[in-house]
Amino acid sequence: MPELPNPVDYAVPAFILLILVEMVWARRNAPEKYEPKDTLSSLSFGLGNSVVGLFAGGAIFASMLWVYQFRLATIPWTWWAWIACFVLDDLAYYWFHRTAHRVRWFWASHVNHHSSQHYNLSTALRQTWTGWLALSFIFRLPLMLVGFHPLMVAFCGGLNLIYQFWFHTEAIKRFPRWFEAVMNTPSHHRVHHATNPRYLDSNYAGVFIIWDRMFGSFVAEVDDEPIRYGIVKQLGTFNLLYSVFHEWIGIAKDVWNAPWKHKLSYMIREPGWSHDGSRDTSDTIKARWREREGLPVE
Amino acid sequence: MIWIDLAKLGASLIAIIGVAWLAGRMGLGGDLRIRDADHAKVLANEAIYGFEATEVALDRAGVGALLKDAQGNQMLLRRHGAAWVGRLLDPAMETRLDQGFLTISTGEPGAEKVTLNLGEAAQIWAAGMRRLVRA
Ligand SMILES: [Zn+2]
Ligand SMILES: [Zn+2]
Repeated sequence: MPELPNPVDYAVPAFILLILVEMVWARRNAPEKYEPKDTLSSLSFGLGNSVVGLFAGGAIFASMLWVYQFRLATIPWTWWAWIACFVLDDLAYYWFHRTAHRVRWFWASHVNHHSSQHYNLSTALRQTWTGWLALSFIFRLPLMLVGFHPLMVAFCGGLNLIYQFWFHTEAIKRFPRWFEAVMNTPSHHRVHHATNPRYLDSNYAGVFIIWDRMFGSFVAEVDDEPIRYGIVKQLGTFNLLYSVFHEWIGIAKDVWNAPWKHKLSYMIREPGWSHDGSRDTSDTIKARWREREGLPVE
Repeated sequence: MIWIDLAKLGASLIAIIGVAWLAGRMGLGGDLRIRDADHAKVLANEAIYGFEATEVALDRAGVGALLKDAQGNQMLLRRHGAAWVGRLLDPAMETRLDQGFLTISTGEPGAEKVTLNLGEAAQIWAAGMRRLVRA
């Protein structure tokens, strides 16, 4: 078993450098693509995420090791195992991410990544502080059960995260067809961060966009429609702590106020769900859009 | 070990503040303004999908607007950094009228009060908001 560093640690200087490069691009082309307060907030999210990781990481890794005891096979540290691990970890990421958008409990943590109204490289570092609370790591456990060593999985997860950095940009329009067909790209992930009704709940991929194509969640970017970024009800504040916890606060309030038989639903139904139907969900917004556009009902 | 982590933390913190400071120095963010009533309507529809404004009161400096739709819903549209945020007005929100200036507090944590310079329209919209309260 090799000694493995955390690859993200080594990537951070490159992240900062690329953000600076993109800022120079923005100054020339579109200064409104960056907002200093928003950038400060997003980068603070990133830093806080790694601080939380120092504390929660140990416990999460211990749980992964514990589950590893019950593995069906023992997969060796060979080159093909690395490839298989990386691909399967990306598949696990897809299902984590898709669930994170459809189940409010996981959304309360993942919303941190989406709550900026900007889409630039600093947005990529906007990472949650409460993934440990949401127990997001459970989506990786099947890999341990199959027999991948937790260290290998953790390392692949780090590489996955690094790959996801660079495509948070509007500076790159599109890549050659074959690349856009297989890989997640700026174009595909812009769609994922968009609040335009046509784009809601799509392109959950981490590295390989093929998962979205396979499981029916792929939506291609349309060239003539400007993208609006963020969440359906924009935060409207740069207050960091409120930005970190707002959806958890929302869950707590709703569960407290709801009748008993609806309490659980406020935690596990889709974001925006309410027992009296008084709020918008991505589905109601999409339905309204289809109606206005004269599209057939889905 | 803990010292290495603390050093990394300190360096990251300095880098973050440096990057944000530089973004400000480079003039990033720009100065967004609402051009006219039609622009406000477009922005309002983007902020809350399907909101069809029929009436608009524009802030003199173009940093915010109040809008009303045919169903009587009212929206506060305001600038937030280099972006726009819309909120439907509800009776619980606090308002204050001072000559042509209408101040609205949505009561959300972290959100500041918004003061719109609406000129003569301020009185009418303030009255409209009071009616919203009674409805
Ligand atoms: Zn997402
Ligand atoms: Zn993203």
